[in-house]
Amino acid sequence: MFARNRQALFFSLFMPLVLMSVFGLIGSGDNLKISVGLVQGLPTQSTQQFIDQIKAVPFFEIHEGSINEELAALDNGDRAVVLNVPDAFIPDVPTSEKRTIQAYTNVGQAQQAEAVISGLQQLLNDANLAAAHAQPIFGIESQTVDANNLKTIDFLLPGLVALSLMQLSIFSVANVFTDYREKGILKRIMATPMRPYQFIMANVITRLIISVIQAAVLVFIGVHVFNAVVVGSYSLVGLEVILGAVMFLGLGFTISGLAKTRDSVPALSNLVVFPMMFFGGVFFPITAMPGWLKIIASFLPISYLSDALRQVMTEGAGFAAIRWDFVGMAVWAVILVGLATLTFSFENRKG
Amino acid sequence: MKDIIEIRNVTKNYPNMTAVQDVSFSVQEGEVFGILGPNGAGKTTTLEMVEGLKPIDAGSIIVDGLSITSHNQEVKSRIGVQLQSSAFFDGLTLVELLEMFGAMYGREVDAPALLAKVQLTEKSDSMVKELSGGQKQRFSIATALVNDPKILFLDEPTTGLDPQARRNLWDLISEINRTGTTIVLTTHYMDEAEVLCDRIAIMDHANLVALDTTENLLKDSRLVSGIQFRTEPALTADAFKQLPGVRGASGEDGLIHLASGTVEETLPALFELARTGDYTILDLQVKQPTLEDLFLTLTGHALRD
Repeated sequence: MFARNRQALFFSLFMPLVLMSVFGLIGSGDNLKISVGLVQGLPTQSTQQFIDQIKAVPFFEIHEGSINEELAALDNGDRAVVLNVPDAFIPDVPTSEKRTIQAYTNVGQAQQAEAVISGLQQLLNDANLAAAHAQPIFGIESQTVDANNLKTIDFLLPGLVALSLMQLSIFSVANVFTDYREKGILKRIMATPMRPYQFIMANVITRLIISVIQAAVLVFIGVHVFNAVVVGSYSLVGLEVILGAVMFLGLGFTISGLAKTRDSVPALSNLVVFPMMFFGGVFFPITAMPGWLKIIASFLPISYLSDALRQVMTEGAGFAAIRWDFVGMAVWAVILVGLATLTFSFENRKG
Repeated sequence: MKDIIEIRNVTKNYPNMTAVQDVSFSVQEGEVFGILGPNGAGKTTTLEMVEGLKPIDAGSIIVDGLSITSHNQEVKSRIGVQLQSSAFFDGLTLVELLEMFGAMYGREVDAPALLAKVQLTEKSDSMVKELSGGQKQRFSIATALVNDPKILFLDEPTTGLDPQARRNLWDLISEINRTGTTIVLTTHYMDEAEVLCDRIAIMDHANLVALDTTENLLKDSRLVSGIQFRTEPALTADAFKQLPGVRGASGEDGLIHLASGTVEETLPALFELARTGDYTILDLQVKQPTLEDLFLTLTGHALRD
């Protein structure tokens, strides 16, 4: 029945997936090369060597053409930078005359252009030293270390899991139960010997199972398709998902309890969904916000969940490190489930 | 015959209004019992109190020997209920829905047999939203039959249906009754009550105004003939209330309806009035007494006012 509710499925599972794809592709960056236009005059042998060096840089995508063609491409935004290398830039016979490469940079891709120019500067320094027959005295030796770098997707994945649990509460609890009540389906259920709490518990248990499956699907796709790295314990993540889901189910039933008609659900939902989506540490860290907002944001239900998930998934935190998040979620769960009990009813309220 | 439902001095208050006021009646085992009345008369509220869906403010209701207040769940397992709205969970087929309802009563359901009974076999794998109005009502009755109930409650089963679908549903209801199921239904259609019901309770403004067998109600001594006509130019019904023999008058779309105990006195007076007044009488008809006339006599207003 849940799988046939396409709207709920879309908002709680596919929307986070789509977001993951969008951010995952933007964030990955390794298939993005800097587009460099290269215009060269008559090369000398030394110039040719220099140009070959430029072409050998792996993250440059070199386009060669006439100055007019390349400047036109720059105008269209297709180049980050166009380099105009003059005739016999580096003469075979050394001279003292100063020669320059003209670089036209695209303001819109200033960072990339800057990277190209500083790379070029490096190559030219070597060339200068060679021309002066001098040996470099100062140098830097770099060594790569396989650090635990936080990629965009690693940061995003826990946030999206939290988001998907929140969406589930809105789209498969608040919407669905308000609809059931409005259409008299809940009343029809009450005409059977089934007791209200049995019906609610059956639905809550179904949705808890769906929450866990949904989180598992998101994490699986995050790890296997977008190369996210999960370092922490999966069972702790599972525990967080369940507690988070209980909290959000309480939210869903509360919204349904407060909404008189199905039409008022979206308004009420947006009131809680949007602040949580943007200030709850889903897409960017709460620490990036101004002081007062940071304080409010850190008390949002979703903030505890996204923080707890992120600490476990990206830093491998243990229970002790996230115990305050668990306390926060537990408090919210008690508040929201309590509110749900007070507000939710099986009957249409008149007027 | 044994009473299967006993309603004693039942009252239900809502903020600002009394929905049911001190109503008492009994339903006998095996009969089709109708509660007739206009919208807002308290029919549905009465039914929902008997079904255990609404708490009773005063009085008592005994269903199949059990108090609805103290044995709510047990009563619910013995009755079948069709509510006014026939909406069900989206995304489930008819067979799946019937099986789910069966699970709520803790029993296995022979879904194909139930669907055959309500002539929906070919719709087994459809969803409720794909059904027509009449099919929805028939399916709704099927869900009310999953627990093989002793009493079946139908709340306005044919409201909004076309004549063909109504007749179809009447046949189904009669057939279910023939197999021994007691049926309690509400309606605001007189013809429906006349065709289906063995006994009828008439409700108006939260009160029970009449209760008898359909046959007795139709030959009630208070019952009167209907005189129906139009006037040119159109007049209101009030102009005719003072005529001799007239017990009630109503007008709708220019059609005036008089309930008269003595047609032989009323008609000459009507013609005399028309001769002296500035209007002519058109389309004059004198009708056999119907429940509609009785209702008019009892309450002073038409059923669908």
